[in-house]
Amino acid sequence: MGDRQGETFGAGIMAAMPIALGYFPIAFAFGVAAVGAGLSPLGATALSVIIYAGASQFLALALITSGAALPVAALTLIAMNLRHVLYGPALMKAAGEGAGRRHAWAWGWGLTDEVFGAALGELARGRRFAEAWMFGLGLPAYAAWVGGTLAGALAGGGALAGWPVVEAGFSFLLPALFLALLLSILTRPQVPVIAVAGLACVAGTLAVSSTTGILGGMVAGALAGVMRRGA
Amino acid sequence: MSWEVLALALIVGAANWGFRTLPIRFGLGSGAGPGGGMLARFLAAVGPAAIATLFVASSLPFVQAGAVLAPLAGTVAVGAVWVWRRSVVLATLAGALAYAAGFALAG
Repeated sequence: MGDRQGETFGAGIMAAMPIALGYFPIAFAFGVAAVGAGLSPLGATALSVIIYAGASQFLALALITSGAALPVAALTLIAMNLRHVLYGPALMKAAGEGAGRRHAWAWGWGLTDEVFGAALGELARGRRFAEAWMFGLGLPAYAAWVGGTLAGALAGGGALAGWPVVEAGFSFLLPALFLALLLSILTRPQVPVIAVAGLACVAGTLAVSSTTGILGGMVAGALAGVMRRGA
Repeated sequence: MSWEVLALALIVGAANWGFRTLPIRFGLGSGAGPGGGMLARFLAAVGPAAIATLFVASSLPFVQAGAVLAPLAGTVAVGAVWVWRRSVVLATLAGALAYAAGFALAG
């Protein structure tokens, strides 16, 4: 890696620091929850290494502990992450003509919601796109996520038992994360989709089960989006 | 780690990798953005639908438990910090902190 690329990589690392600092405690909570759900520390860390998508990892724990069938669990988690399909095209469009994509198979793995948002924001503020910069932006976030999970898993499922207020705060991380994600993608055309999905989820959960509510909400919301004209 | 959990992780991880890298690999995004077709509308709707569903599903236990102060404090904090900083991470952490404070105050 040459000097210029090294500088670009370093700039990416500096831009990633707020993300890494934020990821660590959330990942720690995931590690604690995963071990509490019966996974080994190695298994909990493996989920973060292999899946690397916070909200769907928490949901994976819920699906695993509720005994959901593998195809149902996989489809639910994949549907949840389908939005990531749009991140790469949106980023490359912002990067402009001729932007490098040779190593996208590697740095693209780091395009989480936060990394995507940070990259788009930096490009909007005039930063020139470079693949080295994308590597720098993605690596600290990934390291913080995996490291936080390992730390939480090693601390153990009962690590917070003597700290009820801290445990309460961690218990709210998941709805807080989903709400923040929802706000981050909220646009007026998506309001009917969100309303239909939420109502269908409540109805399905109360009438049948939480798994039915989750699947029903996703399907009903997506269908509401497909049927809407002028999206 | 059971084989079923490992299989779930590998399937979902492979899909995540494909979602994040293949659209870039195949050159999407250098031209026009997603059009107004049925597939584009589906892709645009799946993410919000999934996140809205999961927000509701993860919030229902708090509502069913009858707690008011802590969830309200957490929700307001997420919204306020999002409006202030436009950061998902900061809004999430603020929501958890406010929820913990509300939990402590409620005793």
